[in-house]
Amino acid sequence: MPSVILAVDDSASMRQMVRFTLESAGYEVVQAADGVEALDYAKAGNADLVLTDVNMPRMDGITLVRELRNLNNYKGIPILVLTTEAGQDTKMQGKQAGATGWIVKPFNPEQLLATINRVL
Amino acid sequence: MLPNSSSDNVAVAGNQTPAGNWSPQQQTARMLALCEAQMEAATQDSDAAVDTLINSFSDLMNLARELNAESAHSHGDTQTIKFASEEEMKQRYQKLMRQVNNAIIAFQFYDKLSQRLGHVRYSLSTLALFVCDRMNSQKPEHWDKLVSTLGRLYRTAEERAIFDSIAGTLAITPNSEKPKPISQTAAPEGSIELF
Repeated sequence: MPSVILAVDDSASMRQMVRFTLESAGYEVVQAADGVEALDYAKAGNADLVLTDVNMPRMDGITLVRELRNLNNYKGIPILVLTTEAGQDTKMQGKQAGATGWIVKPFNPEQLLATINRVL
Repeated sequence: MLPNSSSDNVAVAGNQTPAGNWSPQQQTARMLALCEAQMEAATQDSDAAVDTLINSFSDLMNLARELNAESAHSHGDTQTIKFASEEEMKQRYQKLMRQVNNAIIAFQFYDKLSQRLGHVRYSLSTLALFVCDRMNSQKPEHWDKLVSTLGRLYRTAEERAIFDSIAGTLAITPNSEKPKPISQTAAPEGSIELF
């Protein structure tokens, strides 16, 4: 059974790039366009890893991380933040919310896969 | 470039007080120069990404043509293809994957461009409202507040670098809270940190 990765980003082109990269490595990818959509999926189903953007409408990525960590089945799974946000302050907010790691866009496909393999 | 609004022209304004040559018009020009610099940088980065995409697709097309030509040469002799080029095929695959990876990185420019232009759009509309409000736009301390608020929009490393380089010229009052330069501590593109 391939690991399921929940990819959350409000940009359709980014979701496509992430999906292409992850599916080519054998992962199953579920997509969500914002934090609310991702949280709805998370409450109904399981993912083995979450990869989320920060700046999104309705619910941002930091809030999503916090909300996911409140769900029993998402307390221990890796949550990686994939964002253009490069400042230390936002990164610290992500860490405090419970993120596992921080990746600054644009991502390098090989490095992204290596990181996912490492934390899964 | 806006007349009389480049960072060279306004470089001394950081230490000036409203008693100097400060005017709402000068300040507006400086804010517009900041927006212009952000748009110019975003466009240049996008041009570079499009160049990468063109090169990647060009290389992919060449590889496809080579494979097609060799397959035509072999006249259906699959054994020839298999034994003559196993190592070469591996090298070609690696080359192909390198180009695909470069294209994936370059394709992400659109997301970043949208974000950066969104910040500029918000800055311009906020500035437009601000300058129309005569009560606000005549008070230097209100300009400081505006600069500080809009400065928080620019969060990518590139945006911060541009903002930091111009921000000194935007501070007006002696006690104004200078925007903190964070570009030196900002994580570079593609960086990965596990907590």
